Amino acid sequence: MGGLEIFIDGTIRAVEIILSGNPEIFQITLLSLRVSLTATLLGALFGIPVGYLVAIRNFPGKSLCIAVINTLMGIPPVVVGLVVYLMLSSDGPLGFLRILYTPSAMVIAQTVLTFPVTCGITISSIISLNPRLKETLVSLSAPRFWEAVILINEIRIGIITSFITAFGAAISEVGAIMMVGGNLLGYTRALTTAIVLYTNKGEFSMAIALGIILLILALFVNLTLTALQMHYRRHKG
Amino acid sequence: MGPSGSGKTTLLRLLDGLEFPDSGEIYVGGKRLTMESAPKIRANVGAVFQSPVMFDASVYDNVAFSLRFRGFPASAIKKNVEEALKIVQLEDEAKRNALTLSGGEAQRVALARVLVYNPELILLDEPTANLDPSNSMIIESVLREARSEGKTVVLVTHNIFQAKRLADKMALLLAGEMIEIGDKKTFFESPSDSRTRRFIDGDLVC
Amino acid sequence: MAQKKYMLKGLLVLAVIATGLALPLMNTPSNVGNRLIVATTTSTADTGLLDYLKPYFDEKYSADLVWLSLGTGQAIAVAARGDCDLLLVHDREREDEFISSGNGVLRVTVMYNDFVIVGPPDDPANASGTDAIRTMRKIAESGASGGCVFVSRGDGSGTEALEKKLWESSSVCGFLLSGWYLSAGSGMAATLRVANELGAYTISDRGTFYKLKDSINESLSLVVICENDSRLLNPYGVVLINSSLYPNINSDLAQKFLLFVTSPEGQDLIGNYTVGGRQLFFPIYGQTEKIGLPREYETIAYIENLRKGG
Repeated sequence: MGGLEIFIDGTIRAVEIILSGNPEIFQITLLSLRVSLTATLLGALFGIPVGYLVAIRNFPGKSLCIAVINTLMGIPPVVVGLVVYLMLSSDGPLGFLRILYTPSAMVIAQTVLTFPVTCGITISSIISLNPRLKETLVSLSAPRFWEAVILINEIRIGIITSFITAFGAAISEVGAIMMVGGNLLGYTRALTTAIVLYTNKGEFSMAIALGIILLILALFVNLTLTALQMHYRRHKG
Repeated sequence: MGPSGSGKTTLLRLLDGLEFPDSGEIYVGGKRLTMESAPKIRANVGAVFQSPVMFDASVYDNVAFSLRFRGFPASAIKKNVEEALKIVQLEDEAKRNALTLSGGEAQRVALARVLVYNPELILLDEPTANLDPSNSMIIESVLREARSEGKTVVLVTHNIFQAKRLADKMALLLAGEMIEIGDKKTFFESPSDSRTRRFIDGDLVC
Repeated sequence: MAQKKYMLKGLLVLAVIATGLALPLMNTPSNVGNRLIVATTTSTADTGLLDYLKPYFDEKYSADLVWLSLGTGQAIAVAARGDCDLLLVHDREREDEFISSGNGVLRVTVMYNDFVIVGPPDDPANASGTDAIRTMRKIAESGASGGCVFVSRGDGSGTEALEKKLWESSSVCGFLLSGWYLSAGSGMAATLRVANELGAYTISDRGTFYKLKDSINESLSLVVICENDSRLLNPYGVVLINSSLYPNINSDLAQKFLLFVTSPEGQDLIGNYTVGGRQLFFPIYGQTEKIGLPREYETIAYIENLRKGG
């Protein structure tokens, strides 16, 4: 088959898979979605508070710290995969957890990837807030906790942006989950690792079909997040 | 009062403990204001600066935050916030996002945000600058009410007529120096500094 | 009054959703119970052999056979860290090394297939024949004079190990940095596609080559240049990992898999597996002398003893 035919065939197969609800592909898709969403949320759970503290506090080496976090946004997933693999490996310091080649390991690896994204975007959003906001909070005697509540509320559009970026990075990466998930059939096989497998097998149209499904999935998640973002923006008037 | 750059805003910021003096001492309500005592003193001081910043939340929440900061119970918050909004005549806008307010409405919310926690000392920096008369009238009436309740109000204004309407005591700042301070009558009729005379007459002084 | 969702609530919501999503993921560790993790090479995984064997093995032992499709180098490294239960690979030297270092306890040849040297149909190096050494020399000569290009896997795989051995036997050296020798750093199928695009020579296992040829036959113009040389034989070994070093591995099920693939049933299944009408793997357990390899007396005796005991 020529390139164009493979693409057309792949599109047809994607439609077939979606319409027929192929249970194997459905399971793979669900795993991808679940792992990447969990990783995005966990990344935010750690990234937002850490990012907030880094942005709000003054400490020696703050610039370096921010630069490191921003650099980590660009870390190759396969490096994260290798590091997490070595941690979770039987011989590794966290080997006792016995979670290598499980979806949990995939979540951990992707959380390492999404954390700097949420953290970095939180930092830059907080830093670019009007400094008078903080002063107003001081003047109104806001305790630290409430100061955080209000400032983080101010950057919620930025936080949704970080969700979109982090989820995009997670759902599309293959290096990390291949390494720590192992692409085990029916267990840790995700869309991206399945795409690599089909490509290696030379079954290009199936790989294209899964690629299309992945894009559709990402589109739906992003539509939801963008709608939320628009909602907030509209409320700002 | 005083011309631009004379230090009016800085004076208010010093009184609110947002800045600290390089030399000299500040006393608020008989207590010395220092970096350490500032949080405690500030809790009883309400400041509204020029073009106040609104939080990205409803008008209600903007006002309620001041009480939440102070750990008020929910029922008390509701009652006090509704009262404060009524005073600034914004009770119908409670659900609106504060970022969509006009300048005058934002000034009023900022004032309500301060009134709601009932501070002893209220600091205002040009609260009616660039506002239309209806907004200015609401704010002035609120200030009169606050004074009648025995609160101290420090008002910075460019507007001599407003000063005449509202003030008990007047002070004039020139280039960071308080050259005149006294009750309203003395200030306007027999000031001790010739520059005050010229300022009242509308001459440019600096 | 409609309260906005503030940070605490927001983070709480995040935490709840994340836990909700994560809980169904937190199942048992991957290699306990009935799951058997085989670290294997792309050639057995990507040709579909393991997909074919899985239902038979799973049913017989109520097991769940899964595999990591890796290069031989990575497969052995993963096994050496105790992260899989069994090895199925094809690099005799490294398998023996794995045993002698104490990481493995047993290694047995279970099947073989062979490598083919493939190249462009016009064979610019004039290298076609059944003597792999001659073919390699011809390619090197032609390459040195700019006549052709050779693409190596370059990924530390068993295939690359064989290629290096062939160069050595052909007394060709100093090729690593020469312009006609490219290192793809990829799996077999990807390397074949690179060679195809460049009109270059490469070495492939027969299975992957024909599998790819069948699936993209119009665009894969490479043809077999050299085959049927005993030096191109590709024996696959099963390696049992030392469970006293790695107590967490599922050595019981690993042993069952070993007995399964060496049983007459398993050997027949391997022989019956075809892709596009072609047999890809040839069962050879207990008969290695037939393809000119030494007979594995001790290992076979040990395995047969195990079979009786089980």
